[in-house]
Amino acid sequence: MVSTRRHVETAAWHSPGAEVTAPVKAPPGPLAKSYTATHPGEGGASGSLWSRASRKWRDRPLWMLIPATAALVIIVLVPTAITVWLSLLNVNVHTLHEWLGAPFYGLQNFIDAFTQPSTLGVTLGWSIFVSFAFSLLTTVIITPIGMLAAFSVHRRFRGRGIVRAIYLIPYTIPTFVTALTARVVFLNGSGLVDKILGGLGITNGQTYWLIGPHAYWAMQLTEIWATWPFIYLMTLAGLQAIPKEHYEASALDGASKAQRIRHVIIPELSGVLKLAMLLSTIFHFGNFTLAFVMFGSPPPPGAEVLPIAAYYNAFSFFNFGDAAAIAVVTMVILMVPAYIYMRSTRLAGGLN
Amino acid sequence: MAQASAALGAAGPEAARGAGRRSWPPRPRKGSAVQSEAELLLPVWLSRLVVVLVLIAVLVPLGYMLLMSFTPNYDVAAGVVSFAVLTAQNYVSMWSTAPLAQGLVNTLIIAGTSAALSVAVALMAAYPLTRFAFRGRHGYLYTLIGVQTIPGTTLLLPLFAVFSWIQTTISVHMIGTYFPIILTYMTFGVPLSTWLLVAYMRTVPRDLDEAALVDGCSQLGALARVIFPVMLPAVVVAFLFAFLVGWNDVLFASVFTNQNTQTLAIALERFSANSQAGGLPVYGQLMSSAVVSAAPVVIIYLIFQRYLVHGLAAGSVTG
Repeated sequence: MVSTRRHVETAAWHSPGAEVTAPVKAPPGPLAKSYTATHPGEGGASGSLWSRASRKWRDRPLWMLIPATAALVIIVLVPTAITVWLSLLNVNVHTLHEWLGAPFYGLQNFIDAFTQPSTLGVTLGWSIFVSFAFSLLTTVIITPIGMLAAFSVHRRFRGRGIVRAIYLIPYTIPTFVTALTARVVFLNGSGLVDKILGGLGITNGQTYWLIGPHAYWAMQLTEIWATWPFIYLMTLAGLQAIPKEHYEASALDGASKAQRIRHVIIPELSGVLKLAMLLSTIFHFGNFTLAFVMFGSPPPPGAEVLPIAAYYNAFSFFNFGDAAAIAVVTMVILMVPAYIYMRSTRLAGGLN
Repeated sequence: MAQASAALGAAGPEAARGAGRRSWPPRPRKGSAVQSEAELLLPVWLSRLVVVLVLIAVLVPLGYMLLMSFTPNYDVAAGVVSFAVLTAQNYVSMWSTAPLAQGLVNTLIIAGTSAALSVAVALMAAYPLTRFAFRGRHGYLYTLIGVQTIPGTTLLLPLFAVFSWIQTTISVHMIGTYFPIILTYMTFGVPLSTWLLVAYMRTVPRDLDEAALVDGCSQLGALARVIFPVMLPAVVVAFLFAFLVGWNDVLFASVFTNQNTQTLAIALERFSANSQAGGLPVYGQLMSSAVVSAAPVVIIYLIFQRYLVHGLAAGSVTG
């Protein structure tokens, strides 16, 4: 606590504007005396260290940040650091309980992860490939779908509210429910997809979606079905922000609808679309639940995305070192889009 | 889902800018009844076609799910799609086939506690973040965005290692109790709720807390007695989003809970894994429990649709 108070003290020290923004005015009435006695410039500076500290404590309650900061440090930053440390240790089922004393392994975990197939039969390189394909392909496919869907409900029509609500539903269903449903929809032979494909004569109706090479595509289709409304929502939000005059102006100029979309709407939406695609890529990259619930355990190689690889290494084979190495690789890959995302979120400068 | 929440979070402090003071988010503005031709983005036939295709793509799997939830297990496995076999039996027997009721209670306890704690912590943090200039304030806000992109598996391993280490070192039972899982969900709940509340608190006029301070309230008192009631709508939304983190999670719950503390998601996941392992697969009951797990979330989202869209709209301003 003491050190925190000192921190508060220093924080105020370094921001000269702070006193201006501090909300306390000298109140009238009986309280006035005690307030002014400790107020800066009116004798506060000559007060004891304790009274100055307690005034700061009361006027600028930065201590209120302590719980959130503690939460961030204890359950986010420290674990992230531990993951990096774990990835350099030889932690397996024998050394797990004494993991702090596990032998230092250098980069051997990373080398192992890249060169030796895991018990599931895939290497880290394969998992990186599947994760990249999965997240990029999803983003590339859902972007036009989401945009078109948003354009289609831009026009006012009877029942538009209901259509908009239905558009949202796939996105609001919890991923584990989507995955369970996909399991039944993609059942071999008797599932909805095989029945339709078989009925139309496109396949023989025995695709084996949930095992073998088709597993990836079953997962991909499910992800597309479940997440396109994200792009739809972002586009809709972007459309609402376009001033009406811009439409009018382009109409007066005699632009066709196609020209208007290409030269007026898309440029206006580009900011929000870039953000949406970035976020979409980040989150599809880390999707664990779909692959975990949709397939049997362990999932087929086609569904062996990075989080699945880390999970099975850690909790089925207790190769914590390897799993940590995979987690670190995932984190490093995601740092690039995460950094762009943080940079693109401009914070409002001023205070209230 | 997490994505929406994060994007909603990303809306953050910008959200308040365009918004009127007391109405956040603003109700959609009612334009003139007739939409000018200039505002149509697609030719009418094309937009109708898109609506029809999208509705089919969305509703067919949903309808299939509903239909199968009323179809006996055997018929689902055999691929029978028929209105003649429909029965509500799945919705009755699923409760005894899988520990769903227990899972539901656990989810309510775990997700509810972590959401309540997250919102309390976030409310306290949002106050200094919107009211005072201090060194590192921007850095703090950026950190809140950054941590939301850290993948779950990166946090799962060390948390597991630490909890099991505590367990063996000081012999306090951890894994399988509510504690680690609640703490873990706060990892996601705190940054998310803080963003939401910072955005809203900016719209709360400062005169309010100043008046409270003048009347002799402490800062914490002003927050609790004056600001909190005004912010109630945002607090409810922040609570719901933090709650859904726990409702939807599978990754952490599959490691940190046991037979007695497993959440609804895990009860269902194990149910489905076991039903595949042997005997007659209980697909019908699987679908009825899936419907029951999804319905509350879908309903919450549809009720709070306006907040969802607005949060994203505000995010887009940042572009």
